[in-house]
Amino acid sequence: MRTALASTAPATIEAPTEETVVGPDLPWLVIVWNDPVNLMSYVVYVFQQVFGYSREKATKLMLEVHHDGKSVVSHGTREKAEVDVARLHAHGLWATMEKDRA
Amino acid sequence: MTRIDPRRDGGATVRFEGVEVEALRDLAAQVAQVLGGGVPEHGTDPIRDRLFPRAYVDPTEDRAETDFQSVVHEDLVRAKSDAVAALLVKLGAPTDRRDRLTLELDRAGVEQWVGALNDVRLTIGVVLGVTEDDDDDDPPPDDPRAAGMATYHWLTWVQGTLVEVLMEGM
Repeated sequence: MRTALASTAPATIEAPTEETVVGPDLPWLVIVWNDPVNLMSYVVYVFQQVFGYSREKATKLMLEVHHDGKSVVSHGTREKAEVDVARLHAHGLWATMEKDRA
Repeated sequence: MTRIDPRRDGGATVRFEGVEVEALRDLAAQVAQVLGGGVPEHGTDPIRDRLFPRAYVDPTEDRAETDFQSVVHEDLVRAKSDAVAALLVKLGAPTDRRDRLTLELDRAGVEQWVGALNDVRLTIGVVLGVTEDDDDDDPPPDDPRAAGMATYHWLTWVQGTLVEVLMEGM
């Protein structure tokens, strides 16, 4: 281990959490809709794979889709939302995007 | 009966009966056909509408929708077509003396199969009009959807088992 460099290495910089990207400038919501074909386990897998979410968070979102018919799975600029929607479509999920009216 | 065994490297060994190979090849070939051809006209074909949904719900965003589709659609079709083609290549191998086909899939192969099987199931789901109520049991044998639903439920099991393999390694 390179202990001598440890204090200057950027190892302690934490990846931005989702809280840091929530804001009034980022008004697009990515929504996944319930459908009768996609497996619950598959939807959890896709949320983990596409967004890097934990198993817990991915499961919570999947259950929202299942019980409420839809769930907001990510948000951000229009460009980011388009990227997310495209990746969800690539996995066969029924995803749309809309402006946050809140 | 299909048999799926997880491998130590995160992949899976999948064994199909000859009739299962035939059935899946037919369906995958149909999906490959659906996947071909241009940006979809929404509302003209329910299968294509499901495989390639609109991104924008708001009709005033039609311009953005067109731009979005023109950027992503080709890549989306290519990725889906590649996955289905890879599945068809694997299923094209000859069966053994007992009329079985044993496939070795590494983790990337399992990921590709899970995606391709999802598109096959989405397609059958539209054709059969699958609803949440179709989750568990096959319809009675005299039901016109019986054969299709049995195939659909079998593929649900295959895909679900392969998803479990992937989730184990996450």
